[in-house]
Amino acid sequence: MSSQPDLRPGESRQSGNGPVERLKAMFPLDWEIVRHMGAEPIPNHLKKWWFCLGGTILYLFVVQVATGIALTFYYIPTPQEAYASVAVITQELRFGWFIRSLHKWSGNFMIVAVMLHMLRVFFTGAYRHPRQLNWCIGFLLLGTTLTFGFTGYSLVYEQLSFWGATVATNLAEAVPLVGPWIAFFLRGGPEVGENTLTRFFILHIGILPTVVFILIAAHVLMVRLHGVTELRFQGEQDSDDTKHFKFWPDHATTEILIGVLLMYFLTIAALIFPAGLGEPANPNVTPLHIKPEWYFYFNFRLLKLTSLKISVVLTLTIVGIAFFWPFIEEWLRRRWAISDNVPVVLGALAFMIFLVLTVWESFS
Amino acid sequence: MGAGLLASYGLFAVQGFLFLLPRRLKPPTRRIFAGKLDQFEVGSLRAVMDLQGNEILLKRDQKELRAFNSTCPHLGCRVHWEADKNRFFCPCHNGVFNADGVATDGPPAAAGQSLATIPLEVDERSGVVYLEVKDVKKRQV
Repeated sequence: MSSQPDLRPGESRQSGNGPVERLKAMFPLDWEIVRHMGAEPIPNHLKKWWFCLGGTILYLFVVQVATGIALTFYYIPTPQEAYASVAVITQELRFGWFIRSLHKWSGNFMIVAVMLHMLRVFFTGAYRHPRQLNWCIGFLLLGTTLTFGFTGYSLVYEQLSFWGATVATNLAEAVPLVGPWIAFFLRGGPEVGENTLTRFFILHIGILPTVVFILIAAHVLMVRLHGVTELRFQGEQDSDDTKHFKFWPDHATTEILIGVLLMYFLTIAALIFPAGLGEPANPNVTPLHIKPEWYFYFNFRLLKLTSLKISVVLTLTIVGIAFFWPFIEEWLRRRWAISDNVPVVLGALAFMIFLVLTVWESFS
Repeated sequence: MGAGLLASYGLFAVQGFLFLLPRRLKPPTRRIFAGKLDQFEVGSLRAVMDLQGNEILLKRDQKELRAFNSTCPHLGCRVHWEADKNRFFCPCHNGVFNADGVATDGPPAAAGQSLATIPLEVDERSGVVYLEVKDVKKRQV
């Protein structure tokens, strides 16, 4: 006869009666799978920091979320109170200026890191088959990050951010077919006002973070499914024993150290260049000197150089080509058997144009 | 069953979309007093404020009196009147308009745009000038 007590309906047998065993039974995780996931082989080139930019972006996003939640405790998203609440955060609350500056600088660093990460992926050819979809997800993450920057900047409700929002929403109106609907939806009416501010706020603190979480999860999942791209460097030994190291604890330690370094740089940036405040928004007067944030300089310069329709169509075409580039390149290779140098030259040319327009606008 | 599911979830999606999209209503207008005709000298330009606080620029020439909307037709910034250069200037993308509101330089000129005019009416008996402007701003729903 068995000495174990009878089970009640729905109950299952466990190996021990201690609290740890009971907890394990309540959370039946297979630790072998976790150990297997943590022991993912990472190629040796990821010991160099410029190959760790993906983790850098994730780290900066976590800083954004933490500081953003803190700022939301005090920010009031109405045209009457928005600017004043930002002024209170910056000038009156304890460490308010620091939290806001960290939020601003981590956003800027994140945009730089996303751009550098994409450049690295492009120029090392890591977007090619079978990783085309992950390039597209990464590109969506770039778009979402830029939208984060734009909506966050608009929430300050100072003169430049108000007119930036006006220009951007009118620019959206020029998009063929759906433009007027997008602009009306974004503004919540025919012009920038209280509906716009609440919409940008909801986008910034609710919708965009959710989208980014989903995209990051999909991006990381794809990286895990495909494995990190294996790159071969000149003069490298081909021995399999020395080509890889473990994700846990080796690579995770590298990422944590990079995180500490990033906090150090963010703090320096916040101390030397704290987030300031311009004139409060005045919908009746456009300031004489108006500029968007630096990451939209190229587009702002393009708008000065060409007509509205041309610049919108040109921007949409460039964005479309960049988004579908892995598939376009495959088609080009099949059709004309282009060499590996063609994408590199085209990519370098596109980046140079972006750089020239950005620098040109920053000095004008 | 598929059609039923699609119809019910689709209806919910349409309701949600319409909730988020404000109605496109023609904004209510109101007539405001802008001055008397003899106060507008021929060849000169005079600014009045509308009910939202935006500048309206009135210009009288030999033929008629016209009121220009200060919103740039390019991307919606406010133009400034530069008296020394006899032109309107938009600081956003360097758009230039002549005293008749016609774009002469910058992106608005490339697109053949002009400053919009605001309907005005001159009472013949009293010489009073009225402008038809947007009524005081109400929250768009």
